[in-house]
Amino acid sequence: MLTLTPEQSVVAAIALCLAGAPATWLVSRHRAAAGGLALAFTAATAVLVLEAVGKVLGGGAGQPAEFLRLPALGFALRIHVDGLSAWFLLLAAAIAVPAMAYSIPYMRHYPNYSVARYYPFFLLFLAAMYGLVTTTDMMWFFFIFWQMMTLAGYGLIRFENRVPANLRAAWKFLVMMQIACALTMGGAELLAATGAAAGGNALKYDFNAVSSHVPALLQSRPHLAAAAFGLFLAGFGIKLGMWPFGQVWLPDAHPAAPSPVSAMLSGVMIKTGVYGIMRYFLWLVPSDALAAYPMRAWGAVIAGLGTVTLLAGTLQALRQEQTKRLLAFHSIGQVGYILLGIGACLALLPAPTPFGTALATLAFLGALFHTLNHGLFKSLLFLNAGSMLWASGTQDLNKLGGLMRFMPLTAATTLVASFSISGVPLFNGFASKWSLYVATLQAGDAAPYLVFCGVAAILTSVLTLASFIKFSGATLFTRTSPLVLQQARHPQHAPRPDHTPQAATRHETGRPGRLSLEVPWTMQWPQAVLAGACVLLGVAPALGFDAMHRVLAASHTGAGTLLAQTAPVQAGIAKGLNALNGAAWFVPAALLPTLALLLLAAYALSRLGGSARRTDESWYCGYAREADRHRYAAHGFYGEIKRYVRWIGGSPDANPHPRPPPARTRPPDAGAAANLEP
Amino acid sequence: MTLPPLIPLAGAAANIAVVLLAAPLFEGLLRKLTARIQSRQGPPLLQPYFDLLKLLGKEDIESGETPRMQRFAVYLALATVLTVACLVPMGFPAPLDAVGDAILLIYLLTLAGICTLLAGLAAGSTFSVLGISREMMSMMLLEPLLAVALVTGAVHTRSFRLDTLLNGSVYASGGVPWSGLILLGVLLLSFQGFVQRVPFDIAEAETELMEGPLMEYSGPKLALFKYAQMSKLVVYSSLAVGLFIPWGSELGFPWAWLLFWGKVLAFVLLVTLVAATHARYRIDQAIRYFATLLAAALGALLLASCGL
Repeated sequence: MLTLTPEQSVVAAIALCLAGAPATWLVSRHRAAAGGLALAFTAATAVLVLEAVGKVLGGGAGQPAEFLRLPALGFALRIHVDGLSAWFLLLAAAIAVPAMAYSIPYMRHYPNYSVARYYPFFLLFLAAMYGLVTTTDMMWFFFIFWQMMTLAGYGLIRFENRVPANLRAAWKFLVMMQIACALTMGGAELLAATGAAAGGNALKYDFNAVSSHVPALLQSRPHLAAAAFGLFLAGFGIKLGMWPFGQVWLPDAHPAAPSPVSAMLSGVMIKTGVYGIMRYFLWLVPSDALAAYPMRAWGAVIAGLGTVTLLAGTLQALRQEQTKRLLAFHSIGQVGYILLGIGACLALLPAPTPFGTALATLAFLGALFHTLNHGLFKSLLFLNAGSMLWASGTQDLNKLGGLMRFMPLTAATTLVASFSISGVPLFNGFASKWSLYVATLQAGDAAPYLVFCGVAAILTSVLTLASFIKFSGATLFTRTSPLVLQQARHPQHAPRPDHTPQAATRHETGRPGRLSLEVPWTMQWPQAVLAGACVLLGVAPALGFDAMHRVLAASHTGAGTLLAQTAPVQAGIAKGLNALNGAAWFVPAALLPTLALLLLAAYALSRLGGSARRTDESWYCGYAREADRHRYAAHGFYGEIKRYVRWIGGSPDANPHPRPPPARTRPPDAGAAANLEP
Repeated sequence: MTLPPLIPLAGAAANIAVVLLAAPLFEGLLRKLTARIQSRQGPPLLQPYFDLLKLLGKEDIESGETPRMQRFAVYLALATVLTVACLVPMGFPAPLDAVGDAILLIYLLTLAGICTLLAGLAAGSTFSVLGISREMMSMMLLEPLLAVALVTGAVHTRSFRLDTLLNGSVYASGGVPWSGLILLGVLLLSFQGFVQRVPFDIAEAETELMEGPLMEYSGPKLALFKYAQMSKLVVYSSLAVGLFIPWGSELGFPWAWLLFWGKVLAFVLLVTLVAATHARYRIDQAIRYFATLLAAALGALLLASCGL
């Protein structure tokens, strides 16, 4: 059997994607065939990539492999899959397959748009991300992959191109990504230009080449090096949605794209910015030259920006009233956690004590784990929002309500994702936040400000919870909105050839519980798989920490070497996580049975009296049924808090341009006045 | 020190049993005392036990929007509070402190709050949702307040272990423990908020929201919720005792245990006294009040990180 090195596997995966793009374009007249073909290509690349990831994490990284050399231009396609790359490859492959599978039925949502502008772009987008996290060329192949990602992303965001707002959002994305590209390449040029004289034939933009002469540069021209790192931070910061750049493009681009693309944008694409920051700030400077590298200062800057990002993004999210726009602001907020972890790592690493290094590693592990966790739960949330959009035809939180009984699986997975992002114990978000908190809150000796960053992160966590109580409450629970009830009775927003709610016509006057708006199973299983991953990593976070220790062990350059020397967390399925020699621990394997047992006991207690159950109408103080105006919709949540934080910005409206005010019409529930009669 | 697994389990069972047995008694005391302060006769001391028993047998009318979620939220509410009870020392070291650290404790307490929120959302009536919106707004400020207190202890002791933290760790700085004293003041001023009693029972607000999140609950579900709320009073009191007035816990078994419950009783009396003599705050007043306390607590944390 043919065995491929990890590098060959990745190149094969990229090549498959590149071959898949024209292939799906050719058959795009047959929508289902194009979708199936695209899924086959995606799955094949995922198999290749996961095999590479398995090899690297299992047996260590090899050497960079060169595939294509253009000596005249001085660059080559050199691919290197080390531990860090493997982690991001894992993320991309793990989310691309469910997102692509979800796309196939979801595309029926857009009968008037050709899928020729969807599947080929999706595959190019994926290829670009595989390439971007493995190439060692900091200039030309970086440029090629970045542009592939940007242009394909641009095409995907403006897929629904008859909506002017989407064109505007795509244009913003394009402009911001080009600026980011220019900044990052400028940084690479600053670092590489001074080393050009070193060798004639050498690839001067190669990561290893730059890395080898960065120490001299840091010694002789520290300001130039600082400028280069600043450019990297700004460039990748734009990509990952760092404050203040993220607010410019991210909240507009995510809602404009079709939902599976939003999942890829938020779950994977912005993580390439995280990869860039990790790679350039932590892996570029060789470990013996760290003395001249102002890590502490960069750590303070990144941790500070991360704290501002997480607070600002989450507070702005609190004001949102559109499903996907709310999630987009939370992407900014959650990326803030990752930035805080990276910043804390940089700030703590120069500490001379082993304890400081252990804290730095813990912070880095938290950031790395949160990258994967955020990818899982946020892409799940975008798929959930897509399902709700599919079922109800709206992204407006104020018009949704009571979806849980119409779409049980979507509701359950939405709850799982909401719990994960809010950091509820036994879901994956908790484990990564836990290690970030332990690292920052214990950092008092080396960097006292980190304690306050950590407290800000805890505060943000409860704000996130508030926002997702609103999100899940306004969509799944509360009273069934007139729009949802109408959709359940007469689905009419978009032709759905295979999906006719069977009960809809027969039980027109029956209880709404009989009706269904649930998405077809082809859209259910991607959500279920992602939710399962969130729960698995929450109940057994040791799996993640074990893999991350392997990631560090398989990354042998720069500060990564230092990080690999300490193992701040002893992890095991049964013994849970134990950080810093018992200063902090979390044992989900003990918490889960305790909670389950007490849950059973509470159930038993409630049945002890043998009381009978009876279903009845809610009591509305004598009024038969409230009108829609009296339904508590998303707009009403947290009014007092929102009033205090209005200065934070983050308009709930994507298009703040003046528009004719909406006509003051009565809500569409017939006979509202009659219902108000006692 | 590793204990054989039976001892923590027995300790956990003891904590749960004591909380379940004592919580209604404290509630009865609270009601009786409130009535006496307000020149009323008040119910018998054991009335909460009778109420719970009665409710457990009554018909369970499911009038909310999503009954399945409502049931789950109720069971989880009690289960979470009792789990927290196993993580808090009650006269002897916390039995299940090997399960998690202070961060887990903070998030489990949040989870206990989430259950009420889910219950209100799943019930879905306008009053319930209005109530949970208010409750969440108070949680946004109260949860960080508790976190700051625990973090201050962690800054002093360099540890997140519950047996270290819940042993007066806020005072563990050298010299006069300024940060600990400030936090003690902050805790005393915000304690009514944590246990959701007057003047911070804004989410339930019987007179305007008709119990808010609990409005659609009856029979055994209401009993479980009431039970969870009563237990919460005991659990938060124990937590406060552990963090701020741990003295005497080194005495032998009966004395330390009795002293502990005496201190919890003192907290319950404090809650009663404040509740009986104050009127409910509006939510915006409460937010400003808690925000001020949070600022003070952050000041204490700043002192703590300077070693005070």
